[in-house]
Parts: sequence; C-alpha cells; structure tokens
Amino acid sequence: MRCPCAGQAPEAALLTQATRGQPPDKGTASESKKESNFGRSILLKQRPAILPDLDNGTPRFMLKRIIQTQAKVSPLALEVSKHEETEESALEPPSKRISNTMEMQLPGFVPEDTSVPAFQMTRKKKKFSISEFEREADKRLPQNQTQSALDNTSLARSLRMSLGSLIPPDTVEKRGLLRRPKKRKAIDVEAFEGGVEQNMLQRKAQNYLVDSSAASMTRGTVLTSDAEIVLSNTELFVQAGEENPHRPSTLEPQLPDSKISAQNSKTVDAVPEEAKLVGLESSVATDGGRTHRYSEKNLIIDYESVDRMTPVSPKTSVSQGDGHQGHSHQSELVELFSVPEEVVAGAPGEHAKAGYSQQSEKKLTKKRESQVTKAQEAGVEIEMITSEAAEGNIEHLDSPKAEPQIARSFGTGSLNRHSRAFSSQYFEESGEKSLKKTTEQAGTPHDRAATGEVADIEEVTTDDEAEIEERESRDISMKTPAFIRAAAYKPLSLPSTPPPAESDTPKIIPLQPLWAKPVPKKSGASQRKKREPELASSLIKKIFSHYVKMPVTREAFGIVQKCCERYFKQLSNDLEAYSQHAGRKTVEVADLELLMRRQGLVTDKMPLHVLIERHLPLEYRKLLIPVAVSGNKIIPCK
Amino acid sequence: MEAAGAEERQLLVQRLKAAVHYTVGCLCQDVAEDKELQFSKQTVAAISEITFRQCENFAKDLEMFARHAKRSTVTLEDVKLLARRSSSLLKYITQKGEEIVSSNMEQKERKKKKSSTAKAAEQEAAMAESEDSNMA
Repeated sequence: MRCPCAGQAPEAALLTQATRGQPPDKGTASESKKESNFGRSILLKQRPAILPDLDNGTPRFMLKRIIQTQAKVSPLALEVSKHEETEESALEPPSKRISNTMEMQLPGFVPEDTSVPAFQMTRKKKKFSISEFEREADKRLPQNQTQSALDNTSLARSLRMSLGSLIPPDTVEKRGLLRRPKKRKAIDVEAFEGGVEQNMLQRKAQNYLVDSSAASMTRGTVLTSDAEIVLSNTELFVQAGEENPHRPSTLEPQLPDSKISAQNSKTVDAVPEEAKLVGLESSVATDGGRTHRYSEKNLIIDYESVDRMTPVSPKTSVSQGDGHQGHSHQSELVELFSVPEEVVAGAPGEHAKAGYSQQSEKKLTKKRESQVTKAQEAGVEIEMITSEAAEGNIEHLDSPKAEPQIARSFGTGSLNRHSRAFSSQYFEESGEKSLKKTTEQAGTPHDRAATGEVADIEEVTTDDEAEIEERESRDISMKTPAFIRAAAYKPLSLPSTPPPAESDTPKIIPLQPLWAKPVPKKSGASQRKKREPELASSLIKKIFSHYVKMPVTREAFGIVQKCCERYFKQLSNDLEAYSQHAGRKTVEVADLELLMRRQGLVTDKMPLHVLIERHLPLEYRKLLIPVAVSGNKIIPCK
Repeated sequence: MEAAGAEERQLLVQRLKAAVHYTVGCLCQDVAEDKELQFSKQTVAAISEITFRQCENFAKDLEMFARHAKRSTVTLEDVKLLARRSSSLLKYITQKGEEIVSSNMEQKERKKKKSSTAKAAEQEAAMAESEDSNMA
C-alpha cells in the first residue's frame, strides 16, 4: 500500500487502506508507510483486544499517559492545534499529516499488528514535525511540543481532546501521577507550569480584551480554515482555554468559553452562575458595552438558571423574601441589576447579603412564577409583600391595612400553583382568623378591601366563588397563552388607585400570604352584598408584567385591570348575544368562533382548529377537536 | 376567465365606490350648510373610502351572523346584532324596524280591504283604523 503523500489527502488514502484492511508494511523506508504503520499502530492501540501489547496498549495505560502528559492543555487548544495541524498538513511533511489522519481515523477500526519499532520511528519523526509546527505556531505552550512528541499518537491527542474536560487542572501540579520516564517530560511540566502562570497573569491583564477578541475569535477558529487566522487565534484561544480549567470561576471570558467548553460538564453548571456573578460585576463595572452584553446574557442565563433553581429554592426564597418588604418598592431599575444578583443568590442557595439576596430571592420567586405561569414581576413583588405579611402573623389592627395590599396583589386569585400551595401551607400553619381574612381578601379584588371589614366579609363569600373560579382557571391557564386566558377569565375589579395608595404605608407591616385559602371560611357576620365575580388582579399583574418585560407602575396596573374588566364584560355580552341570536341558551363553541372571527383571530386562512392546536394544551385539544378512530368512533363523542 | 371576472369585479367595485363617494359628498354638503362648515375634498374622499370598507366588513359580519343562526337570509335580527354596540344606533334601527313592520301590516290590510267587498272593506277599514290607532 502506498500512501500518496503529494497529491491525495493522506486521510483518504489511509482510510481506503483501512477499509481494504491491507496489512501494514513494516520497517519500510518511505515516510508514508511509516505513517500508515504509525496510524495503524495507533489504531491498534485503540483496540486493546487486538493489540499484542496488552500492557502498554490498554486504554487505561493510554489514559494515564494522556493525563500525565497532556492534562495541561485544554481541549480547545487541542482542537485548535488539530486544526492547525490539518491546516498545515499540506505544508508540513507527511509525518505531520499522519497525526492529522490519525486523529481523523480514531473512530476507525482497523485492527493491525503493532509494530513497535515502526511506532517509535514514527514517533521520532513526529517529534520533528511537531517541533517545526510548534515553532511556526508561535507556541506558547511548551507542553504542546512535549505532548505531541510524547504522545506519539494522534489517538492520544484525540483522547486528550475528548478527555481534556474531565482532566482536572490539578493534575498538572501532581508529580505523583507522572509515571513516565521524566526524561521525556521533565521540561514540559516545569515549562508548562511557568507558561501557565504567565498565561494566567497575562490573562488577567488582558481579560477584557481577550474576552472580546477571544469570543470573536474562538468562534472564528472553529469556522475558519485559514491557517494564519487559526494560528493567530490559537494564542488567544489557547490562553482562554488554559484559563478555563484553571479558573472555572473566572469572569466574563467564561461566557464565550462556556459555549466551547460545553463538554466541560463540571463548569457547565458553574458557568451560568459565574456568568451571573460576572454579570453582576459587569453591571456594576464601568464597561458599558460589555455590561449590557453580559447583563443581557446573564438575564437570559438567569431565566435558565431560575428554571433550574425553581424546584430547589421556591420555599426558601419565599421564606427569605418575607422579611424585606421595605425594599420591595425600590427603584425598579435595581431590579435589572438585581436579576443577576438574584440568580447568584439562588444558585448557591442562600447568600449572606441581606437586602440584596432577599430581594433577589423575591425576584427569583417572581421569575419562577412568571416562567411557570407567565406571571408579572411587579405582581409577584406585591405578592411577596402580601405573602410576607401573611407569614408575619398579621394582627387584627394590621389586617385592614394589609387587606388592601393583599387584595391588590391577589386580585381574583388565579395564582400559580406554587403560590397557591404556599398560601395553603401558610394558612394551615398560621390558622389565624386575621390570616384567613386577609387570605380571603387576597382572593378577592383589592378594591373592596379598602371599604373595611364589611368588605372583608363580603370578600369572604365572593372568595369562595372566586377561588373556585381561580382554581379552575388556574388549572386551565397553567400553560395557556394570554389570549386564551383572556377569553377564559372573567371581568375583574375596581379602581386600584385608592388601595395602592393605602397599601404604600403598611408595606413594612408583614402581610399574610397572598394566596387565598382553598376553602375560604365565611366570617361570622353575614354577607351584606354580593359582588360580581372578578378576575384576580395579581394574575393580571403577573401576566402583564411578564409580557411587557419592564417594570410597571401601580397606576398602570390599575388601568390595565380596568381594561381587562371592560374587555371581558363586553366579551361575555357578545357571547350572550350570539347564543341568543342562534336561539340557544348555552354558549357554544360556535359562538366563540364567531366572536374570534369578528376579532380577526380566526380568518379564512386561519381556522379555529389551528389556533387550538397551537395555543391550547393537549387536554383541551382532545376535548375540542374531534378525532376519528377505528370502529366508527369519534372522540370526543358528538 | 378569472382575470376577466376579476376585472369585471374591479369595475363593479369602482362604480360602487363612485356611488358611495357621490352620496357622501351630498351628505357632507348638507351638513356643511347646516353647521356652516366646509368639507375639504380629501375629507369627503376619506369618509367615502372608510364607508366603503366598513360596508364590506358589515356584509361579511352579516353573512356570518345569518349563518350562525342557520339561516340563508340576512334579516333585521342580524342587523340589530351588528348594531348592538352603538346604543343610539340600535335604538334607531329598532324603531325603524318597527315602523317598517307596521307599514307592511298596513299595506297588507289595505290589500285585504281592496280585495274584499265593500262591507268587508268597511269592516276591515274600521278594524284597520282601530288597529292603526292602537298601533299609533
């Protein structure tokens, strides 16, 4: 078998050889043969079962050698070096190509006899080529040379790449693991360590510059095939890569690096949190442009991390958020910056920072809720206030003050499941009448709360209806889009300006939990008047602030609530008119389709079924869209 | 074929638009005389365009309403459903509807009167008068 060195790509030749399964030549003078042998020997090393050299050819041994020799180099650097090698393959002697081909062929499977002498010979040649490459590549890592020289197998290199992420940076320091004869690596370790330190120092100095350039370049390295660009990028990239294993807690560079080092399972979880830390710092830093970038990234990451953290710290965050009502109404600009703080707080679980962490936890819960139920941030904030109040064992005196707050925040009470669960928990724990009152009020619109205890009693009764509706709507609305929810919700309450004004002062007073008891208990006094069912203002606030993604003032919330109330009133009037027009007494799907057609949601191009499919959960779709099954059956039955 | 139909339809639309424009112009002139105001041409054009588009919407809605009631004819009920948003308009339409119904009744009565004999006519006339008085 001849490996055409000049014209063809050695990879193809070797591959063809591999497929043909030709026996390797041994001890031939041609480099190509040595390369092929080398490659095959490498492949053989891959297959311990086939290799006659069971002691030195086992994966364990290979891995050990890799760890000993190549722990210092990051997988990214290796990739780059591989790229560089591929780039230079055309230029470099074929021995170099061997390494490339070896790497490419690693997943290959050609079993061949080991030729240790050939292997050693090729190794020497490799050393040369690699040294040349190193020189050309402006190596900063002496270990590259040593690694490549020692590794003598692209297999090892590839293994290095794949296992690099798993290799802890500490192995660099440990001498104990170094079992290979020191003559080969004596220089490497020390030089490497020195180089690493240098790199780290340089990295610190150039952190910001490197980040921006590395970020742009690292992406470029993957894509560009230009050797020069790759070479020029490798420096920065290697710099970044080196720092990666050594400093998992580094700042901003982690953000672009994290994408590349996604394989680094260890750092994946740490990175977002670190990124948040970074974002926190960056948000504070004077670096304007980067601040925005990272804060945005952090915000995005925050949402992702919040998803992860929500199952972990809902309770703790809620409980912690209780004591800090005073901060609840800080400038909402702070919210933006506290978002990373919030994430940071959530990530480790609990931060010692007093106000910040609690605020952030509050916001954590906010975010969680918003993510779960498309809740509004401000609404959650208010909810937190009310929840805190509830937990704080409100007294009777406080209850009238707390009621408006709670009522305002609760709204009609279609809260998310978590909040409901929490409220129920809190209620069970507290068991105070005032709490019940406040919670009941929470279920009702906040407006009435201002009227006083009488209104409270009224709210109790209406709470029953509202809560039932809320529960149903809550179940239904778990994952429904806003417009579907809009159709499902009933009109709501009253002017919110007076209650918010009242609620401002008693904010500091701990409020009872926002969530109403699932079974509201009627107070002793009989209900004076029946209030028409209203939509939970807290729900409206949550949904609105979720979609607006900006802080919203209380007055705006009040206006939005009024609009919602009018909208739903008109909606129900229309539905009643339509059903009456058709001579029916029940509102049917046809009436709703007619309404949606008038609204412009359903057109000739967009049928109702498509909207149902798109926006409603599967359970509702099953109820609404008939499906024919075998046996002349239609589900649901018509 | 379709192109010719589309062209014809376009011509029809243009003619209809012109008719609406003329009518709107006349109405605007009356209002201008009444309020001692003046209407610019762009205003009249805008109003006529809006009216035309709204008429298209009305037509679609009325057809939908008729179909919703499982009818194939658009009736006064559909029109009332369309106009229910504006209370004054609804009242006006209802009033006009009643007038039309009554006038139809009267016409029927008159026909009956003519067809019948004199005596019957007299009796019917008397009855009609009483009915009219009742209705008025």
